[in-house]
Amino acid sequence: MTTLPAPRTRRRAGVPPVVWLFLLVPAVIEIAMVFWPALNSFYLSLTKWNGLGAAQPVGLDNYRELFADGVFRGALRNNVIWAVGFGGLSVLGGLALALALNRPRRGVGLYRSAIYLPMVFSLAVTGLFWRVQYQPDGTVNTLLGAVGLSGWERQWLADPNTALYAVLVAAVWRQVGYVMVLYLAGLKGTDPTLDDAAATDGASGWQRFRFVIWPQLRGVNTVVFAVTVIDSLRTFDIVWAMTQGGPYHSSELLSTYMFQQGFTFLNLGYASAIAVLIFALALIFIITYLVRATRDEVET
Amino acid sequence: MIHSQLSRRGLLAGIGGLGAATILGGCATGSSDSGSTSSNTLTVQSSLSDADPKAALTKVVEGYSKTKVTLNTIAIETFRAQLPTYLNSGNPPDVLTWYAGSVARDYASKGFLLDVSDMWTGSGACAGFSPALKELSTGADGKQIFVPTSYYWWGLFYRKSAFQQWGVQPATTWDEFIALCKTLKGKGINPLTMGTGQTPWVASGWFDYLNLRINGAQFHRELLAGQHSFDGPEVKNVMSHYRQLLEFIDPKGRSYSWQDAVTPLAAKKAGMYLIGAFVTSAMPADAADDVDFFRVPIIDPNIPVAEEAPTDGYFASAKSRNPAGARELLAYLASPAAQEQFIKLSKSSNLPTSTQVNTSGFAPLVQKGIKHLNETKAITQFFNRDSSDELQTTADTALTKFLDKPGDVNAILASWQADAKKVLAS
Repeated sequence: MTTLPAPRTRRRAGVPPVVWLFLLVPAVIEIAMVFWPALNSFYLSLTKWNGLGAAQPVGLDNYRELFADGVFRGALRNNVIWAVGFGGLSVLGGLALALALNRPRRGVGLYRSAIYLPMVFSLAVTGLFWRVQYQPDGTVNTLLGAVGLSGWERQWLADPNTALYAVLVAAVWRQVGYVMVLYLAGLKGTDPTLDDAAATDGASGWQRFRFVIWPQLRGVNTVVFAVTVIDSLRTFDIVWAMTQGGPYHSSELLSTYMFQQGFTFLNLGYASAIAVLIFALALIFIITYLVRATRDEVET
Repeated sequence: MIHSQLSRRGLLAGIGGLGAATILGGCATGSSDSGSTSSNTLTVQSSLSDADPKAALTKVVEGYSKTKVTLNTIAIETFRAQLPTYLNSGNPPDVLTWYAGSVARDYASKGFLLDVSDMWTGSGACAGFSPALKELSTGADGKQIFVPTSYYWWGLFYRKSAFQQWGVQPATTWDEFIALCKTLKGKGINPLTMGTGQTPWVASGWFDYLNLRINGAQFHRELLAGQHSFDGPEVKNVMSHYRQLLEFIDPKGRSYSWQDAVTPLAAKKAGMYLIGAFVTSAMPADAADDVDFFRVPIIDPNIPVAEEAPTDGYFASAKSRNPAGARELLAYLASPAAQEQFIKLSKSSNLPTSTQVNTSGFAPLVQKGIKHLNETKAITQFFNRDSSDELQTTADTALTKFLDKPGDVNAILASWQADAKKVLAS
């Protein structure tokens, strides 16, 4: 949907004052409900506070402590694995599915809906559903046993070597349909005559995708990239529902660690420091990408 | 043109999403007023959000006629996180559900809790409660700040018909217990079930009990208060006993929650489960009457017998607008009639703290639980209640790692001690 070209309404001259008034209301709400609390969390990250009394300023101690904290470093590493795995797999999978299901064919709507279906479940439900599959006597192990791979059977969520990846699979399973829909919308916005022309000129399927369709998907890519980076950095529910970061922090992400520090232990200053780092990380990724994307646009 | 518009939208969406991630700090550094209570209405803030206990407390509160009472029920995670805010606010809830232990004492030492010492003397509502309960409800300054209304016991739960079928008896000594486990294992049954996947704290049950049996309650309390080291010889001795049990514990339990781990017990695929009396709520109805328990076997007969008996109840906020009303409400909640009503309606196996409650109508299992605790010399709570939720996490990490890699026990204990030191220092 996002790719539909918006009608060009370029009537700059004379914005009626009442419009500014209308804009002011959401701006005030946004500032009060989003920016002010966000700024507060920057301040809190420089303090030690357990919710009682006044916060004590401690300078950069929280950040120093964070980098000496093995659990935090593990969570950071897991977040990198998560961003790469979650982003890579859901984008590749979503794009492949979108390409496969783009052309109108019989029953294609059914496939699309079926693949999009997991997206309508909340992450907590997805987590619950997959937890059952991963049980020692669950579907995954039963299937492995049935095809003669009983040596591969394990306690997926209880094994520190597989827990993170097991959750990752569940998250990708859900996200792939979303990315597919974004790309399907993007593909609808591409110019079919270009594709036909390339086909007539004898371009192979891969060449048509790489040199004709892909460049036209740049706008969607920006959206998909932003959505994926943000989703991967704020992933919380599914990990919490499936492993709560365990066994022994092996599937801990920054967000779950932040939640635990903030809301279970009430180390609000320390948790805010983690939140600030999550924010900074996301910002770095998004800004770098946007700068590159806009520069490309200026060039072309 | 289309592209640049998309980018801007993406960016805005991004900033919106990120705002949510950093909103954590949004609980504002100042304290805000919560609820709108006039001094005529009392507010009870409850974390009992499960259906049965919630309905039970609602009924009990409805039965209070002296003042109008508003009951707010909040999920425990939120409740715990918001508790400091509740207590610190200008217009706090008057009475709050909580459990006895170090967290309550912490709040008391900061002056957030209403002194209810008068309820523990003379003809006060808590005057007849046991000295152990009184000690548990006392803050560092010697004043009582907590009103216990129910508690439960821990034990090795099993199915009577299963033990009969296998021809085995409950054990009383460690050697008998190991022999019992061996017998069951020989029959192809997992002697012990334990859900340490979703609920890793269950692994602390055996740790607590082995420590109580080997080193005693006094040492256990001191250990959790940071006066002894988790990698000292005493704890190493505990772990060597724990290690003897590992071969008898159902390995699939590492994927289970405590509730999941009840299933093999109910299905007679597992023999015993060291867990709290709340296990009965997870048992299928047809097995409920078949459940029995026995005391964790004695290891050193010279150590006074200690049991875990986590205690629940209420405290009141020091800043309550109507402290006299809050005390009266607490007295009502602690009264034998209210305790009995709450326990019956909540369908739990909890025990009343008041000795005046007529327990003859309670299930035989509960009566056995009362006797079980009466024969006990010392009472502890549970790892997290005797220390803190943060220290509990260090125990979860260490003990579940130990379940997976018992060979690394020394390294695990060393890093446990390091983690615990950090928590206790903060």
